[in-house]
Amino acid sequence: MMAALSKAIMSLTIACLGESRREWALAMQGEFEAAIEDGASFPFATGCLIAAWREMPKHPDGRFALASYVLALGVLVPMAALQFACAMNFPSLFAGTGMLGALDTGAARVPYLASAQISAVPVLLLLWLSLGLAHLRLAWLLVEQDWSRAFNVGALTAAATVTFFLFAETLRLNSAPLMLQAGTLGIELFALSAAARWHRRITASLQYELSTCTGG
Amino acid sequence: MSRNRRPSKQMLMLLEALSARAQQWRHGYDLMKETGLLSGTLYPLLMRMADQGLIEAEWREPAQPGRPARHAYRLTAAGLAFALAQAAAEAPQPSRIALA
Repeated sequence: MMAALSKAIMSLTIACLGESRREWALAMQGEFEAAIEDGASFPFATGCLIAAWREMPKHPDGRFALASYVLALGVLVPMAALQFACAMNFPSLFAGTGMLGALDTGAARVPYLASAQISAVPVLLLLWLSLGLAHLRLAWLLVEQDWSRAFNVGALTAAATVTFFLFAETLRLNSAPLMLQAGTLGIELFALSAAARWHRRITASLQYELSTCTGG
Repeated sequence: MSRNRRPSKQMLMLLEALSARAQQWRHGYDLMKETGLLSGTLYPLLMRMADQGLIEAEWREPAQPGRPARHAYRLTAAGLAFALAQAAAEAPQPSRIALA
């Protein structure tokens, strides 16, 4: 159990050190075997992880990794949670902005459309839940630095938001929360695009350094 | 840059361990055991010293087959000069000893 945990910590350490410190990551990995033989794998691996975290802000790829985790965990995952909460209308905090809130306001405005609005609930719920899932997927792809898939998911999310907006307008639902949602999504996609450009610059600079080091 | 600053106690310990057998290549784990430094302290120090040209590193074939190659370190000429200068600075001054 402890050996498996230590190995997982070492894998995380190697991922945190990034390309610019790849040689040091391999050096730690080599010494990890000696630490296992000595029965000190866990403190060794934990120390290496702390060292990697201390190194991260000092290098461009480390700073990028930190920024992408902040964007994923600080923006995209909370946005996904907000989508789920709005879909379920679960917390009273979002009362009036979620699914039931939109229906309440819509039904109050146009009572003749109430039955149509109620029958649209499953589709709207599915759309809203898919928006939440798409945010989680975006967070994962950002951390994985899989930009082509991230932009595909971003485009699908934008399409789902537009579809939702069209549904809401057709059924005369309260579309105010969707406007907020569209604005937030725009900011997220802009941040994703900025992250992709930043990553491309770092990769190009690392490749240049590598080619000058090897004389290629 | 940071070489103008006074080295930390941990860095002095590492310099002392490396300069004691300056020509010998040393592994990270052996340095940890000898100096008592933890991996979280040792590796940032080694990285910084390598960036400053105080130590050189090379890959060594594993002693047992199937094991990963190990990184070994030793002081460069500049590193040895720096270690000796630090050791001299840390040593008690003769005039003070005479006064005592």
